[in-house]
Amino acid sequence: MTKLAVRINGHDHGPMDVRDDLTMNDFLREYLGFTGTKFGCGAAQCLSCAVIIDQADGTSHTSPTCVVPAVNFDGKAIRTVEGHARDGALSPLQTSFVEHFAFQCGYCTPGFLNEGQVLLERLERSKVARADLERVITEALDGHLCRCTGYVKYHQAVRAVILADPTRYLDPADATGDAG
Amino acid sequence: MKPIPGIALVAAAVIATNALAFAATGLAVSSAAPGDLADPASFAAIADPQQRSAAYFTELGKVLTNPRCVNCHPAGNRPRQGDEGRPHQPPVFRGADGFGLESMRCSTCHQGANFEPGRIPGHPAWHLAPASMAWEGKSLHEICVQIKDPARNGGRSLDDLIEHIGEDTLVGWAWAPGYGRTPAPGTQKKAGALVTAWAQSGAACP
Amino acid sequence: MRPSRRDFIKLTAASGIALTVAPLMAAEQPPFLARETLPGRGVRRPPLGRVDGVAKVTGAKLYASDFRAADLPGWPADTAHALLVRTPHADRLYEGLDIDRLASIAKPAVVLTSAGIAAAGIHAPPFYAGNLFSPVGQTPAYLGEPVALLVFEHFDDFDRARLALRDGDFLRFGDKTGPLQKPNYGAFRFTRIAGPTPDSPDVYSPLQEGWISPGFTDDSGRPIWRPLPVPEGGQYVTGAQHGEAVRALLAGSDPDLLVLERDFETQSVDPMFLEPEAGLSWFDPASGRLSLVLGVQSPLEAAEAIAFLLSKADVQHRPAAIDTNFAYVGGGFGGRDHTPFPLYVALAAMFFPGKAVRLAHDRFQQFQGGIKRHPFKMTTRIGVDRASGLMAAFAADHELDGGGLANYSPSVAVVGATGALGIYDVPKVDVTTVARHSRGVTAGSMRGYGALQTMTALEVLVDELAAALPMDPIELRRRNALKTGGRTMTGNPYSVSVRTPEILDKLEQHPIWRQRAAEKEAARPGFLVGTGVACATKDFGTGADCALGTVAIDPEGRVSIHADAVEMGNGIGTALANRVAMHVGRVADEVTVAQVDVFDALALVTSGDPYSITQAAQDEAARDPRWVPEISSATSASIGAHVGTQASAEAARVIFRFGLWPAALDLWGIAPSDPRSKQWAEAFWQDEHLLMSGLSPLPLPKIAARAHAMGGVTGAMTHAFSRWAWSQASFAIDGNEWTADIDALALRRGSGPFERLERTAVAFPPTDYNRIGTAFTSLCGTLVRIEIERATGALRIAKAYSVLECGPMLAPEVVLGQAHGGFAMGVGYALLETLPPYEDGPGNGQWNLGRYVVARGSDLPLHDFDVEVLPPISPKEAPKGMAEVVMIPVVPALLNAISDATGHRFQSLPVTADMLKGVLA
Repeated sequence: MTKLAVRINGHDHGPMDVRDDLTMNDFLREYLGFTGTKFGCGAAQCLSCAVIIDQADGTSHTSPTCVVPAVNFDGKAIRTVEGHARDGALSPLQTSFVEHFAFQCGYCTPGFLNEGQVLLERLERSKVARADLERVITEALDGHLCRCTGYVKYHQAVRAVILADPTRYLDPADATGDAG
Repeated sequence: MKPIPGIALVAAAVIATNALAFAATGLAVSSAAPGDLADPASFAAIADPQQRSAAYFTELGKVLTNPRCVNCHPAGNRPRQGDEGRPHQPPVFRGADGFGLESMRCSTCHQGANFEPGRIPGHPAWHLAPASMAWEGKSLHEICVQIKDPARNGGRSLDDLIEHIGEDTLVGWAWAPGYGRTPAPGTQKKAGALVTAWAQSGAACP
Repeated sequence: MRPSRRDFIKLTAASGIALTVAPLMAAEQPPFLARETLPGRGVRRPPLGRVDGVAKVTGAKLYASDFRAADLPGWPADTAHALLVRTPHADRLYEGLDIDRLASIAKPAVVLTSAGIAAAGIHAPPFYAGNLFSPVGQTPAYLGEPVALLVFEHFDDFDRARLALRDGDFLRFGDKTGPLQKPNYGAFRFTRIAGPTPDSPDVYSPLQEGWISPGFTDDSGRPIWRPLPVPEGGQYVTGAQHGEAVRALLAGSDPDLLVLERDFETQSVDPMFLEPEAGLSWFDPASGRLSLVLGVQSPLEAAEAIAFLLSKADVQHRPAAIDTNFAYVGGGFGGRDHTPFPLYVALAAMFFPGKAVRLAHDRFQQFQGGIKRHPFKMTTRIGVDRASGLMAAFAADHELDGGGLANYSPSVAVVGATGALGIYDVPKVDVTTVARHSRGVTAGSMRGYGALQTMTALEVLVDELAAALPMDPIELRRRNALKTGGRTMTGNPYSVSVRTPEILDKLEQHPIWRQRAAEKEAARPGFLVGTGVACATKDFGTGADCALGTVAIDPEGRVSIHADAVEMGNGIGTALANRVAMHVGRVADEVTVAQVDVFDALALVTSGDPYSITQAAQDEAARDPRWVPEISSATSASIGAHVGTQASAEAARVIFRFGLWPAALDLWGIAPSDPRSKQWAEAFWQDEHLLMSGLSPLPLPKIAARAHAMGGVTGAMTHAFSRWAWSQASFAIDGNEWTADIDALALRRGSGPFERLERTAVAFPPTDYNRIGTAFTSLCGTLVRIEIERATGALRIAKAYSVLECGPMLAPEVVLGQAHGGFAMGVGYALLETLPPYEDGPGNGQWNLGRYVVARGSDLPLHDFDVEVLPPISPKEAPKGMAEVVMIPVVPALLNAISDATGHRFQSLPVTADMLKGVLA
């Protein structure tokens, strides 16, 4: 058993004793009841379990939770699907997912949402050329499996948020891309 | 450890293929049991030093061509996985530093150590060997020439190779790869002894 | 004769257990139904999107796997966890579970095995005929058969045990016996001999003569298809003699007839819905109530199956009431329609009384125990007149592997066989099919349902025929396409629009097709380019489909809908809301789906099997004004749009006609004597206002308030049934006779209770419609352009186009999404996914994603995939199902493209990069 304290969507949880072989996914779902983070494969193949880890340097990345010990999250700050909306108002990416009918059954949605959000935040820090955008989106989302949709609308939904605010996400030298 | 039926079959096939390939070189093949590595001393009967040195490397080749090693010394930019050496899922790529693309770093999933609940291997420095060190699809001779070439081996001397194969803990993972992955043959110590014997005997190539 | 798509255990008759809704106690947690009511009043949401959109992007508790006891008011505080242990062997004696060794790691509170089931008097429902658990001392019937259900009071113990069982040998086995041999699940023969002209009656057809099945098997258990000259085979002999004549024609030496015969094999695959099966249960001994949270495509079936399971149990294990709560489903694709999983959820609670227990598969377990797609072995023969290109005769033999536990195998065999002719009209047809038992993991329903397999073999062969004639592949398809009014293999015409010529024209005109030669020429060095086309038609519905729906409008004009259809991503909630909105002017802000126990006001009763009931029995039963042929059916077979929304749509129409319209007339000051008062069909809605030529638009809230004030109809509850035609009934409402495609109706006036209306007349579809293979079909054609790297065999889909028709689209974005998803699943089936049969396959418990590869975004032409949906042929056309057909042509189109690129015809699936590399070497 190891002590675990973690900050989730701005709230501190723990410290509490957890097994060393407890996955972060089970910690979230079984210990804390945060079932917005899904369990799909338990093998880092579908990434429906991915959460956002916020680093001290202001950068963020996603991490699967199903293959990572909960104790490895000790001292970390994470965001989950439950933490994107503010006071009932959806984030731009959440809104875009809904408006684009990006998902069907929705079980993979938390993973895509977190990955897409991390991509948006990364592009804000480090813009890309319009010509590279589709490739960058595919690289970001490709780890995530969806069995219902064929992915088209997820990609459209992420791209739409970026193209709606090109100066924020795209290299100004080449931000004149199509309306996609 | 409980063998996985499908994987065990494939692994057997890989070993058989390698054995054939080595037999074709006309060199003495070690008498080590499957899954083990011969001791350098067991090659003493080979009189010709050049041939004996090459025989050390042939024996070491059992390790180098093992899926535990080849999977992360791939021909392209995408590592392989499992005893079958299937393309890595999810698709991940080498990236600028060999530690993955910015959107998916190796360490995102591969933590500091194997984590058996997720059957996922781990090491603090989990990453791909540089493209110049690709072994996938190469003959043992080609690997041998390549591994000695500082231009392609990361600027390593023979002593560095002894250290890398015999001591490096990421290489050492190959002998403790976790559930469902057949370990590299022998032990890291035995592999270290072979590479040492090979280096000290002129590093001849098969 | 006809195999059912579901079993017919009638709850009240079979078990005497009451299905009730528990009165939910006040607690800080919202009740289950409140969580599942979407989008929910007062929820801020974007103007566009699915009704479940906001809930799904915010991580709301929605799926069965999300719920723990603490989330449900009135349930115990803690959740125990159950583990279903399955056998990785089915060729040796099972000798038990090493429970002592396991207990040293984690000690289960409950160990339930075959012996415990027998002692408690528990019986598997007939649909799942077989053992619930492998008995000790016997050879398990199939790989992945459950051997024990373990329950752990604490999650950590459960988790330790799960890992230990996954990675270690805790099951003891004895002598090898070889796998058990069991009879086939079913065998059928479909033979049709058309008359001399299209107008003349058929010489022989299943519709005329009834369906036939060979009565004899040889020593190996295979059916004997020859017409054996024995009295018992009389009916079979006639059909088989016609069938043999078709075969003789194809085997003959007519030089004018080009005959090709090809074998084709398809593989086993997993539906791979992303949410593994999960459920939660609690048996409260004090009240005798068994409560469950489940996520299935067939809610009523699950409830009935559980009731049957426990109906003859001893007093300790027999609940007085069962309260089922059905959740949103994380993907289905057929694999959650009639799965035995809910039975084990119920058992977990019954053997751990007083505690809430969760049973949830991990992915290894889902691969090991979940329903699979049937692998097929097929031989197909087609004879084409060389001069005209017309198909003269068709014969096929199918063998499918149903795995080890009875499920939908006979039905999949039938749908595969009757679909084997695809879009074509052939005058002489003979198809045999047999569904075999094996020791494999159970195969059942999955998107495409046999037709995917047989139409893939067909469309690949048709492509080869075109090359052999030679004739343009689209022209060959056009010449042989079944036209509107033409007869299908079973002898009946489709009763819906048939738009094959339009679809073929669209394919032919598309740039992917027109530029195929130039693109092939322009292939990059080291690459081969190919183009493939295929067209498919797929039935929707099962011949006994029904819907329950309640629509209500409050005085503020807010609309709520309850339906029994299941939301598994298919967008049924959104389709319901949109279809209801056409009648009542507003998209509902309260939609609940998968409800089977909120329709008590209809007081429906049923009896018999809707697929096999006689006309006399149906006529007799119909004298009871509450009788319907079937109460609630699975959300499957692409039936959501056509049937799943029907009851709610008809309810909305009644509300409009007898609630909103009279209120509007009152507001407009139009007297009953005014001729305009009869013109309710001329009014329409825009932006929640009712418009009528020459009158001021009326806002919905005002109309609704007036309807409530007038005591008009503000709520309606209906039931609809389809056997390739609707049940129709008449009701007396406010002095009018109201006839509609429903067979039961209850109305709410003002804010009163729902009250059932007696039907004054009813017509159920005739029972001989059960000889129809299918009367409902929709079409999809697909083009793909591929590029194959010679050195590696890597295949890239450069461009794709699918064109389909489905009548009016209830939720156009959902239709597009289904087409995208069908394409992706087709790509996986054609190129990536495969499960080995038997010992190396998923039944060994060692399969997961990674080894099993499904399509990712990078496998698909995300930015070069056009989907075109033909507009409905008439404003009167009813919605048609399309969720399955969009997957089918993708597979043969890819194979045909591979053939075009490489010159090699693969006759099995999947075609992997290694296989391509092999033929290019």
